[in-house]
Amino acid sequence: MKKVLILFVVLSLFLTGCWDKREINELAFVQGIGMDIDKDKMCNITVQVLKPANLATSSGGGGGGAAAGKPYEVYSSRGVDFAKAFSNFNTELSRTLFLQHNEIIFIGENLARSGIYSMLDFVTRNPEFRRTSYLVVVSGGTIDDLMKLSKSVEKYPYREILGMIQNQKNTSSAYVCDINHFVETLETEEVQPIVGRLEIVKKDGKPQHARFVGAAAFKYDKMVGLLTEQETKGIMWMDNLIKNTSLVVDKGPKGDKTHISFTIIKANSSITPKVNGEDVSFDVKINFDSNMIEENSKYNLTDLKMIKGLEDLQQEKVKSEVLDALNAVQKKYKVDSVGFGQKLQEKYPKVWAKLKDRWDEIYPNVKVNVSVKATLKRSGLTSKPIEPR
Amino acid sequence: MFLLGLFNKLFKNKNNGNGESKDVESPKVKEDIEENIKYIKDMLKDSDDIIYREFWVGEEFQHKLELVFVDGLVDKGIINEHVMHSLMLDSRQAKPSIDEIKKNIYEVIKKAAITGGDIKEIDDLDKCITSILSGDTALFLDGHPKVVIISSKGWQMRSVAPPETEMVVRGAREGFTETLRVNTALVRRWIRDPKFKIKQMQIGKRSKTDIALLYIDDIVNKDLLSLIQERLKQIDIDCILESGYIEQLIEEDWHSPFPQMLNTERPDKVAASVLEGRIAILIDNSPFALIIPTTLATLFQSPEDYFERWMISSLLRILRFTAAIIALVGPSIYIAFTSYHPGMIPTKLALYIASTRQGVPFPAFMEALIMEATFELLREAGIRLPVPIGQTIGIVGGLIIGQAAVMAGIVSPLMVIVVAVTAVSSFSIPSYSAAIAFRLLRFAFMILAAVLGLYGIMLGFILMLTHLVVLKSFGLPYLSPFVEINLSDLADTIIRAPLMVFKKKTTYT
Repeated sequence: MKKVLILFVVLSLFLTGCWDKREINELAFVQGIGMDIDKDKMCNITVQVLKPANLATSSGGGGGGAAAGKPYEVYSSRGVDFAKAFSNFNTELSRTLFLQHNEIIFIGENLARSGIYSMLDFVTRNPEFRRTSYLVVVSGGTIDDLMKLSKSVEKYPYREILGMIQNQKNTSSAYVCDINHFVETLETEEVQPIVGRLEIVKKDGKPQHARFVGAAAFKYDKMVGLLTEQETKGIMWMDNLIKNTSLVVDKGPKGDKTHISFTIIKANSSITPKVNGEDVSFDVKINFDSNMIEENSKYNLTDLKMIKGLEDLQQEKVKSEVLDALNAVQKKYKVDSVGFGQKLQEKYPKVWAKLKDRWDEIYPNVKVNVSVKATLKRSGLTSKPIEPR
Repeated sequence: MFLLGLFNKLFKNKNNGNGESKDVESPKVKEDIEENIKYIKDMLKDSDDIIYREFWVGEEFQHKLELVFVDGLVDKGIINEHVMHSLMLDSRQAKPSIDEIKKNIYEVIKKAAITGGDIKEIDDLDKCITSILSGDTALFLDGHPKVVIISSKGWQMRSVAPPETEMVVRGAREGFTETLRVNTALVRRWIRDPKFKIKQMQIGKRSKTDIALLYIDDIVNKDLLSLIQERLKQIDIDCILESGYIEQLIEEDWHSPFPQMLNTERPDKVAASVLEGRIAILIDNSPFALIIPTTLATLFQSPEDYFERWMISSLLRILRFTAAIIALVGPSIYIAFTSYHPGMIPTKLALYIASTRQGVPFPAFMEALIMEATFELLREAGIRLPVPIGQTIGIVGGLIIGQAAVMAGIVSPLMVIVVAVTAVSSFSIPSYSAAIAFRLLRFAFMILAAVLGLYGIMLGFILMLTHLVVLKSFGLPYLSPFVEINLSDLADTIIRAPLMVFKKKTTYT
């Protein structure tokens, strides 16, 4: 009896296994997948597939050879929906597409404007897509342009863009959003999602390189407009997302025309809703510390008045960024990307319950008071500027 | 227990065929010396290495004596100097009264003439033969129904040398030899406690191998002691060639790949174990002592852990446990990741693996199997080869197979690394028996990984742990002290706490 049982267990091991087995060298590694929609409402998918053999470094084994060509290939496919388009790849690829290492999903501007719900459903339903993949809206060109960028430090454009996104925490010049975050905000009624934006820079009509800059404001799953770098920064100031960025003011403390650069070393912000009857307003408070990294007007920073003046300039600059952002999202696009509604709901749930249905009308006219407090911490290695005689 | 039964059956049948039976009472020593010698000569017929030396003692040569011993097993110096010389020459100078000598020549010879240190007298001829065959000298005296057995063991033996399988940087360099008496002495030198017991018995119907149980009377668990003695008595086998025989014949679970007894060549390890309340079994003709009971944690201990400072020892312990896991699942993790879960490998590494595996014609499992099998071959061949040629195998293995296999595109470079790391890991487990258990299970894990991926590996782990939890070594859970939570017992497991902590330690770990 026991022996039969053992036999059964051993056999069952061999009978059920292997169904999802895929050898690593038989996969088509997708690094960068772009999705768009064309004029006929057909869904387009573009993938960048790596050719690992061409990636191997000089002495690598395999069949590398001396003249390694381009390490990637771009494939496109069309279908009535994204799943169909995706399965259509099988007709032209020798290997199965492998998406688990893909960390960026590019969204074409057309798709973004017409709503990305269908794409989101396909992506979140398929277990191969990483839920931490970055969502990026491509502006200034098509996805095909993006896939064929010529200027690159890395071996293939995807790496370049991934590097840009990860590098972003040093510059805070663009908004980073992954699938998880997008779905989360989409399911929260008090906030509207924002997605990072990749801008293709063209030279003589040919795509040269891409800049990861600014953002795209969404109302639910539809893009309503693009935000500039300045506006994005304003939103990030309010969202408390600024960690380490540079700040340039374009006049001196004495009103003279010059440029002074600072780096932000620490920043935090808070949004406090205020309710007065039916009247709702918000206080935005931003505090930050900064270091001075460049100035060319030879200010003497041993003077306390001068430091105060520089701090005032920074406050003014940040405030203008925030007001720009508010102008864009509140007045121009009328979407609550910052989440004022959420703040109100957290603090005054009853008021929110009353205003919820009319929030779209109320929001564009809500008053937002912005106050900024800057502290200049250090001025680099120089306290007295170099004085040529 | 099935196998043990089989053994018993086999050996019993053999014995019946020879028509030998235990029930026949062995003959007593007779008064007539000729009869005794005849019996022995009968029994030891056709054994040309037995020497019968007849000689006369007394002023008128009136006493007939005969020595019987095995040439080569005895120290002839002892016989010449302390037996024959004493009896034939020195005793003439003694001047006891003639009457007394006549009356009691046997007592005189025994107590006043033989200058050898260790003698005893017996009256059983079969026991006498056993003694002769184990290297003692029998002295027969005409007219007296007793034999004097003079301990004269002195054969060519290997001298005490460093234990080759268990080297340490710091610590005693002595290892056991093949002679039981030398080995017991080596342990005795570590423990001068009167309660330290060395209890001997003989096992093996034909080999009559001496084995010794070493324990400290007031620390040892009496139930354990009687259990071991019981099991040893039940052994019914012709010959004990190595301690491995004893190990396999008295172990609890013969299904298990894990050693349920620790074997060691180091007297200090035996002494330390005995002091912890364990029982050691020493076997004549084997330089390996068995230590009972054994837990999984003890297999990872090296004597050196206690000689160096606790911090580095703890680090080394952690290293060894990690090494065991690598030795167990190294190749199977590679198989699972490359065949089932390429998404779990960091992107750049995944791409590298994909690029190096580009031309490899086999799936990862076959690749791993080829390399592991090659490595096992190299290891096996390395043991067989004589030392001067042994180095060649290193060159063949390392350079030709490692490098050439990669160049030829049969395996990927990463696979070679995996196999190498796995091999090095398996060598860092102090107990060779434990290391080979992990080596064996590695192949099972590889198959599981090839069939079910990481899920299979986890399944394997669960099966292995279930087995380990159930397994007992002579009543002691194999996984103790991990199975019962007692913080002070954990002090000597994955870490080696400072020695002060051990003062309160009561159980074996």
